[in-house]
Amino acid sequence: MAGGASVLSDDSLLSRLDLGLQHVERAMALVSGIGAFLLMCLAVVSVTGRNGFNEPLPGYVDWIETAMPLIAIFGIAYVQRLGGHIRMDIVVGALKGRPLWLAEFITTFAVLVLMVLLVWGSWAHFDRSFDMTRPMWSRDSTIDLGLPLWPAKLVVPVAFSVLCLRLVLQLWGYGRAFVLGLSEPVAVPLVMSAAELAAAEANQVKGHD
Amino acid sequence: MDNIEIGLWVTGGLLVLVVLGMRVAFAAAFAGLFGLIWIFWARKGYDPSEFGWALEVAVKTAGQVPHGKVASQALSLIPTFILIGYLAYYAGLTRALFEAAKRWIAWVPGGLAVSTVFATAGFAAVSGASVATAAVFARIAIPEMLKVGYDKRFAAGVVAAAGTLASLIPPSAILVIYAIIVEQDVGKLLLAGFIPGLFSAFVYMMLIIGLALVLPNFGPPVRGFTWKERFVSLPPALPIVAVVVIIIFFVYNPFGGDAWGTPTEGGAIGAFIVFCMAVWRGMRFAELKDALIETAKLSIMIFSIIWGVLIYVRFLGFADLPSAFADWITSLHYSPMLILVCILLAYAVLGMFMDAIGMLLLTLPVVYPAVMALNGGAMVAAEDSAFGMSGPMCAIWFGILVVKMAEFCLITPPIGLNCFVVAGVRDDLSVQDVFRGVTPFFIADGVTIALLVAFPAIVLWLPSMA
Amino acid sequence: TEWNVSVWGSRRAFTEHIHKLADLVAEKTGGEFTMNISYGGLSKNTENLDGISIGAFEMAQFCAGYHPDKNRAITVLELPFLGVNTLEEEVAVSHAVYDHPAVAEEMAQWNAKMLMTSPMPQYNLVGTGEPRDELAEFDGMRVRATGGLGEAFRAVGGVPTSVTSSEAYQAMESGVVDTVAFAQHAHLSFGTINTATWWTANLNPGTVNCPVVVNIDAYESLTDAEREALDSSIDEAIAFYLENYGELLKQWDTVLAEKNVQKVMIADEELARFQDIAGKPIHDEWITSMSAQGLPAQELYELVVGTLKTARASN
Ligand code: NA
Ligand code: NA
Repeated sequence: MAGGASVLSDDSLLSRLDLGLQHVERAMALVSGIGAFLLMCLAVVSVTGRNGFNEPLPGYVDWIETAMPLIAIFGIAYVQRLGGHIRMDIVVGALKGRPLWLAEFITTFAVLVLMVLLVWGSWAHFDRSFDMTRPMWSRDSTIDLGLPLWPAKLVVPVAFSVLCLRLVLQLWGYGRAFVLGLSEPVAVPLVMSAAELAAAEANQVKGHD
Repeated sequence: MDNIEIGLWVTGGLLVLVVLGMRVAFAAAFAGLFGLIWIFWARKGYDPSEFGWALEVAVKTAGQVPHGKVASQALSLIPTFILIGYLAYYAGLTRALFEAAKRWIAWVPGGLAVSTVFATAGFAAVSGASVATAAVFARIAIPEMLKVGYDKRFAAGVVAAAGTLASLIPPSAILVIYAIIVEQDVGKLLLAGFIPGLFSAFVYMMLIIGLALVLPNFGPPVRGFTWKERFVSLPPALPIVAVVVIIIFFVYNPFGGDAWGTPTEGGAIGAFIVFCMAVWRGMRFAELKDALIETAKLSIMIFSIIWGVLIYVRFLGFADLPSAFADWITSLHYSPMLILVCILLAYAVLGMFMDAIGMLLLTLPVVYPAVMALNGGAMVAAEDSAFGMSGPMCAIWFGILVVKMAEFCLITPPIGLNCFVVAGVRDDLSVQDVFRGVTPFFIADGVTIALLVAFPAIVLWLPSMA
Repeated sequence: TEWNVSVWGSRRAFTEHIHKLADLVAEKTGGEFTMNISYGGLSKNTENLDGISIGAFEMAQFCAGYHPDKNRAITVLELPFLGVNTLEEEVAVSHAVYDHPAVAEEMAQWNAKMLMTSPMPQYNLVGTGEPRDELAEFDGMRVRATGGLGEAFRAVGGVPTSVTSSEAYQAMESGVVDTVAFAQHAHLSFGTINTATWWTANLNPGTVNCPVVVNIDAYESLTDAEREALDSSIDEAIAFYLENYGELLKQWDTVLAEKNVQKVMIADEELARFQDIAGKPIHDEWITSMSAQGLPAQELYELVVGTLKTARASN
């Protein structure tokens, strides 16, 4: 489950960087959410046009395919900051103190390696569809409207780059916690038991009914 | 080492990463990328000077997947189905549903618990995610049950179990994911979930009534609502009905003729109605923003698993593991039904330790072709098949079975997300309490799954009409 | 040498030449050179050319209309109403265009080399509901038709709504589209015929061009014997394909009867009007816009027309 985890803050440089980056990340997540909202509006327009006026929305599929990366990927760093990507924490949940920070450091480092490589790979994917000499700089386009694909493809390396920054901050946070032997470090999602994580998740719906 | 051995090693490595606590999405992508590098390098005979080439080809191959797989009109159902659930909450539909269910059916033995099941089933018709459903109803239904003297553990168990209905009754994010992975008709799968979902609700109800009749101190029925009070409770819950009808008509027109559109469009129109209602009920911009960010978080979490696992699946394609596994399964000298039951039991065990979506995404690429092969192939006719149903029907039937299994796993210890969520909402309940309370429902789910296996018509009747 | 070959869907008439090629090559090299044909396991169908350029696999099939910007030169073969009547003519014009330096150059940018075509007959429509047998009924029709075919339907008020072939059945079943334009084999293998009530027998608006390409590096690193085995097998593979497809076409009427699909004939004057609107004007527009992008568009177009004439004359 995507869930709220607690990320502590203080007035250290790391914590200020964390909060600064969080503003960017949250804005990106909001863009993803607005994308989902617009998807809904697009369908309403499409259905109304088709059934009401025999005027189907041209390129309905093209627009959806262009918007999906924005909705599904753009805000990925925000989810990482909150520790919202699911995992099995049977092993990690049993650790405390230095062993815990070490374990977190190692898996986070592996994710960083992965994401740096995927920035490269997804950039190459973007780059193959991008050519400054062509009309609309496009070397690959959607089937019906011929919308250039490169903006949607560019979303991925951009989102992954922000995620890499986030991972670097988290590595810094875990590394610091390991070296100093902290119990409640700043700027990293604090390991909660799965139950505590769910509690935080559930808290989000409190007070709204 | 041949490709299939590489496939097995990498798959083992992936399980280790998951157990060690790496986020499932990244663990799958990591294993997939690593496997691709291995397989490309192996093609060059592990020549050190070719490692750079293998790395580059693997990275670029994996780098196609996030955009390529996510930019899909079929997958656009997922954010819509999630958005609709959050908006329904802000529109006050959950409270309205519970009130209506209470006034109409709480007079039976175990009344409020039965009402909770039905209100949840109703909410399931607008919510695409089980865990969100459980969280919402834990807030609304548990206090009411405690007021009339239910055991708090049992009250929590009812909510945790009933929450799983959201993934069978359409809309359902997890059914869409299944349909995408196995490349089957999303509409038919959603339709297929409808009756098994209601059927599950019915089995839950029978269980509760049975317990209420047997146990002396079980929660009493709640009576004394006038007919006027009953009818007054209906209008606020009506938008749910409108949304259900719309989604059904967009998937399949019961009066013959064409469906009104696609499931995506149906979900979106439903979401739009609920959105209008939420605005009318006074939803502010700040609340809309919360709903959008929550939708984004849940969608991104799900999509990360999707593209992460699909990188691993791309590697499996190069390793040719799925077809090897299918060949192995079909070569076994046991009855197909026995093998199917074993597969379902394996899901029950795996599900104890994993969440539903991750489990399905990780296993289906290998298990699904095997099950289809077991039945006689993707295009087999009903009369030539092992399970007595055509290939496409088998795909639907198996889909409902595994989704029901995956939902069952949401309430089994030690990792049962629905139980965690319910315990999280209620400060007076520990996770152990909820697991205790939900135990009777294991029997109900076992019965449901056995009946779905024994009588596939429960699943296939509706989609075979469409 | 073992090559990975990326195609999509399931084995069908459209991929038989690839299987034949694999058999022939293995036979000629005594099993030294084999091909491992994967249906969808190695790549998404719209990204096969990307996969070739990366070097992830050595051979692949793709359709020009999925991504015209990647392969502008060969989109000349997808122009509507070119007047290609038989599969043999389709092979002749396709291979003539594939041999043009502008095509070779554009493919080389993807590290790809044209090997052979996958000829298909005219893409006729299947649809649900009442048959659409007049031009006026194409207004507001959501049709799955890519490339030049999409342009043709757009010219008469249709709304091209294109999903890839693998998703066409689902799109039709769920109402994303009203009609699907496919060749016969694809109506069969992608199941669109199963949900259709009618098929246009004589609309014949054009077809789609789907070449098979190889990765240049992989091709060049073959031994001489292997390369010779590959090159010399192409004609036989194509011949096998044509024979196999011919059988399928012979049975087509039986299939229509079995599936209870109505065969719709469109009146000659309606067809003539469609050609007037969607034929020459779209050809001219293609030549203008491709010339503006620096392609020898006029030359390519005339190559098609000329080859077609020669192919006719030789029969
Ligand atoms: Na649902
Ligand atoms: Na579980």
